[in-house]
Amino acid sequence: MRASVSPVVAGGSLLGLVVLAALLAPWLTQDPAQIDLDSVLRPPSSAHLLGTDGLGRDVGARLLHGARTSLLIGFATGALSLLLGLPLGAAAGYFGGAVDSAASRLIESVMCFPGLVVAIALLSVGPPWLLALSEPVRIAIALGLIGWTPAARYMRGEFRRLRGSDAVIAARAAGAGHPRIILRHLLPRSLAPVVVSLAFGVGSAALAEAALSFVGVGISPPRASWGELLGQALHQAGRAWWLAVFPGGALFLLVLGCNRLGDGIRDRLDPIRPA
Amino acid sequence: MLAAIAARIATALVTLAVVSLLVFALLSSLPGDAGDDEGPKPLPATFRAALRAQYHLDEPAVVRYGRWIADLIRGDLGTSLSSRRSVRELLGERLPVSLALNACALLVMIATAVPLGVLGAWKPGGRWDRAGLTLTTALYAVPVFWSALLLQWLFAVRLGWLPLAGIATEGATLGSLGAVADGLRHLVLPVACLAGGGLAYVTRFVRTSLVETSAGDGGRAARARGLSTLGYLWRHGLLQAGVPLLTLAGFLIPRLVGGSLLIEEIFGVPGVGSLMFESILARDIPVVLALTLISGIATLAGTTLADLLILCVDPRVRRAG
Repeated sequence: MRASVSPVVAGGSLLGLVVLAALLAPWLTQDPAQIDLDSVLRPPSSAHLLGTDGLGRDVGARLLHGARTSLLIGFATGALSLLLGLPLGAAAGYFGGAVDSAASRLIESVMCFPGLVVAIALLSVGPPWLLALSEPVRIAIALGLIGWTPAARYMRGEFRRLRGSDAVIAARAAGAGHPRIILRHLLPRSLAPVVVSLAFGVGSAALAEAALSFVGVGISPPRASWGELLGQALHQAGRAWWLAVFPGGALFLLVLGCNRLGDGIRDRLDPIRPA
Repeated sequence: MLAAIAARIATALVTLAVVSLLVFALLSSLPGDAGDDEGPKPLPATFRAALRAQYHLDEPAVVRYGRWIADLIRGDLGTSLSSRRSVRELLGERLPVSLALNACALLVMIATAVPLGVLGAWKPGGRWDRAGLTLTTALYAVPVFWSALLLQWLFAVRLGWLPLAGIATEGATLGSLGAVADGLRHLVLPVACLAGGGLAYVTRFVRTSLVETSAGDGGRAARARGLSTLGYLWRHGLLQAGVPLLTLAGFLIPRLVGGSLLIEEIFGVPGVGSLMFESILARDIPVVLALTLISGIATLAGTTLADLLILCVDPRVRRAG
């Protein structure tokens, strides 16, 4: 089967589009926090291309600025997940034995929890040090604390596979210690999977941020977030379709882009895997 | 065989211990306890000490952990701070609703995913397979709360075919048959949204498992005997694909619980998900922690059971183990 557009290109352009929207937001739109009580909940028109929200704020402006929130939290969470997951997964895969058992039990335990529920709990009744941080940082930490398991599992698998490879045996025979083998021989060969898990991680973190803001424990106004707009749509109980369609659609495209990018890179790395 | 089962159960018990430790760590990291004075006048030190002693807060963490576990084993999940009712009682009210919702969603999901998966595996790379892949790729990226809002808007607000929210029409006098029909009508949208959330993943999973068995020795032997690919998939392939499908339990349960929280909130379903949500907003910490722990244990039980079943059903796994 030959796809007409490679998933890497398709996913990359979708993600690129959102990044572009986020970067250009201040120049393309009016102030997203500008409240105008004379034009509340207006459907799309020439004055407000995507309509207005419950306080008369421009939905288009909030949409583009919301892209900044989504990407910021998406990448911050992705980076934090790698920071937590990679060392643990690497240690488990490389050393095996007791280290692997301990790490695997920890990974399994964290995976037992419904991530979204734990994130909501952390953000609403969480420890004071967490709640003292600024909103985006707080959300990224809560999501990172529960979202590091895929990266750890991925890395564990890679290191397990590579541990017995000729390159490692040769390095060990040449007298290389664990740090040198890990940093010089294993890590460079596992970097590609890292990129894959980052791509998926960014998408699912952006999705989780929207869900958190949707239920009201994530980003709060005046800062713009797609989830917050969707939350407003829920409270309008179907009276304002534009509040649901546009931010949800943007979120869909971002998640789709990240997933396609991740799929595409993975398929490129592993040509034997059936499509 | 017995050794393999024992080993699997031992692993699960260790994981269970870690799960309980994680929840306890979360509990301990939360601010405030019974000895904190919130009133305008500071409490006398002796009174505070007495309060802390009453709730065993003066004891070291290890002892408190032991007490907490002992309570759990006795079935004491704690008491809600806001309603002063036991978590067990609350669960008894809410759990049946959520279980019904999730069971329906699971049924719909599997009933849709299996035919779609068979269709894809029939001619891998063919027209149906490509259409299915495109569909599942798109479906995979749809936020469940977005599809819920759109379906709610379309079917309840614009078309008026289905109720907007709730699980029963209030104030309606219906016969027993009418009440069942009314309940089912209320379930359609939440079930559709929940099922749609996992549909893409399960369909992909069924398709991949089927393609693998169909391309393997079993599939080749069946075709040599004159069985069509579709016939093989229905009669033999699904049975084999059913085994890996069991491992999905571990993936699906946390997703259903998380999705259930959003869906129950959107559609006003009085289940465990909305209980969790209400408790979080009311900072009803005992309920939040009890529910978190229970969903963790449910997931663990699901994956462990699935693994044990596979061990019993699949001779290959048994021998390897």
